[in-house]
Amino acid sequence: MELINASDVWKSFRIYHDKGSTLKERVLFRSRNRYEERWVLKGVNLHVEQGESVGLLGENGSGKSTLLKLLTRIIYPNRGTIDVQGKVSSLLELGAGFHPDLTGRENIYMNASIFGLSKQEIDRKLSEIIAFSELAPFIDTPVRTYSSGMYMRLAFSVAINVNADILLIDEILAVGDVNFQKKCFDRLKDLKKRGTTIVIVSHDLSSIQKICDRAVWLEDGSIQATGGTTRVIDQYMQFMNRKQEATLKEEQAREQEQHRGKSAEETEGDADREKPESDPNCWGGKEVEITSVRMRNADGEQKYSFEYGEPVCIEIGYIRHREMEGYVFGIGISNSDGVPCYGTNTSIDGRKIKVLDSRGKVSFHIDRITLVEGKYELDAASHAEDGRAYDYRKNIYEFAVTSSVKDTGIARQEHQWIIK
Amino acid sequence: MKAIKELYQYREMLKNLVRKDLRTRYKGSFLGFLWTFINPLLQLLVYTVIFTTIMRLDIDNYSMFLFVALLPWNFFSTSLMIGTGSIVNNKELIKKIYFPREIIPISVVTSGFVNLILSFVIVFIALFISGIGITPAIVCLPVVLVVIYVMTLGFTLLFSALNVYFRDLEHILEIGTMAWFYLTPIVYKLDMIPARFLKLFFMNPMTPIIQAFRDILYYGIVPDFTVLGINHLAAGMLLVVFGHLVFQRLQKNFAEEI
Repeated sequence: MELINASDVWKSFRIYHDKGSTLKERVLFRSRNRYEERWVLKGVNLHVEQGESVGLLGENGSGKSTLLKLLTRIIYPNRGTIDVQGKVSSLLELGAGFHPDLTGRENIYMNASIFGLSKQEIDRKLSEIIAFSELAPFIDTPVRTYSSGMYMRLAFSVAINVNADILLIDEILAVGDVNFQKKCFDRLKDLKKRGTTIVIVSHDLSSIQKICDRAVWLEDGSIQATGGTTRVIDQYMQFMNRKQEATLKEEQAREQEQHRGKSAEETEGDADREKPESDPNCWGGKEVEITSVRMRNADGEQKYSFEYGEPVCIEIGYIRHREMEGYVFGIGISNSDGVPCYGTNTSIDGRKIKVLDSRGKVSFHIDRITLVEGKYELDAASHAEDGRAYDYRKNIYEFAVTSSVKDTGIARQEHQWIIK
Repeated sequence: MKAIKELYQYREMLKNLVRKDLRTRYKGSFLGFLWTFINPLLQLLVYTVIFTTIMRLDIDNYSMFLFVALLPWNFFSTSLMIGTGSIVNNKELIKKIYFPREIIPISVVTSGFVNLILSFVIVFIALFISGIGITPAIVCLPVVLVVIYVMTLGFTLLFSALNVYFRDLEHILEIGTMAWFYLTPIVYKLDMIPARFLKLFFMNPMTPIIQAFRDILYYGIVPDFTVLGINHLAAGMLLVVFGHLVFQRLQKNFAEEI
């Protein structure tokens, strides 16, 4: 049986530039009533069968929370119809109607009654709700004495225990401590098993993966993809990677632009090309100057985002201004917290360079990048054998590693689990 | 019909809102719930002092004459005032969760109504002490109470929804109820109204209702039910239906407008 049937739903919000809500303002300042019509949902169809769990994915502002709000009937669509059958419990905003002066127990009655439960139904559920919240010792004290965590636990316990046919959830698992979160999660799975229909909005793709049978990806108010959870999450991830790639590229371009502007000024004023005093990320005597640093993928394309396990090539372009006794090239990678993740140079790896062309390229090939998901900064340097820097460029290149595996730390250790 | 069924399903919420209102209204005050009784008692005291010592009017037992009409009026005007702002004032709830929105104005009127009924305890005591006493006409009281409840509910439903879109209503109503107060025979007798205006006064729906309270409690006579019972109950019902229709139409945008 179809419990949720939303067809061709359109929703717009009016963004008032300067809204007058009194008669005087409305009549006198007609021009101020100008508003912009912003379409948040553009013809969305969503059909959910009884017992199905659906996850809504999408960027911020893609309309997924609006869709959820429409399903709860807090707001109504401009066009299209929404038909929801059965009792709905929403975990959008917890603790609706809680009054600080009433005790926990009284607030349970208050809150549950807002979900449309009768006194008898609440009486039956009361002990279960109290037990779930783990607040039995405090249940007869006013809610204003509760900590915010206790407050949320109580609110969540009511919302999840009202025996709804449909559960609508927006970013749930931010409630309480780790143990309570786990409990909520187990409870959700349990409800799912018992045939409760669930619709979840979340940015935490792994929890969607765990609970949902089906995912719907919303992009700019319309459905981009729908189907099996894993497939849709994959598509969504790919899309987000491409997007990140684009922003990183833009950032890099902007930085280079700034840099170029600066160095142009400097070359004009200072023919000796001394290191710019103002740039703390760049030092050295410039005997061997680093002219470019790029990261490329297997196809030789310059990239700013790499999939875990992909081959990566770091390419350092140089100009030798003066002949020196020996040359060393090095790279260093640190993560967004500034923690060094890996660093090496030609000397450490036993490559002695005695002679160097006046200009050329040094490349550093990584067969498989094994850094965990995150953002990284790359340093590149040329220096003498005794360690004195010719040209040290700190944080010269920013890149990201994406991964479908959510392991933690710095780099993945190749491993397998054996359980006997 | 579907709306009524849903309201019935949410009856527990209505009950809880009324209870919360009654319980938290005087929360933190030393006398607490007793204020429900003390408040009308003190009002009566003030009127008695003023109208027996300073402004002497040619009406027997003027303080009681006023009191029996003033309490129902107070119920009507405070319910209307609080009820009109109630949707806007409960925006937190309305933005957060679905429930039949009518519950809010209904709960305001109902808790005021419970207060009115409780304050009748003081009215009865005062009636005995002042020597007016109670006559068999008292059996008509519940009917009049139902009429005033229905009438108040109708106005409140209508105004609470309109106020969301037109906030001036709250302020207009403030002065409006004051004028309305003087255009209803509360501080004066019905027969003080010049005969040519009498018809106009009866177009005011509150006139016969207040008069009925006074008939039953002060004069101890059965009120004129042809006007009150039939016309007003029917008009009140119609007003509730109309108010509810308007409310239903307007409530869809509540969450966005407040």
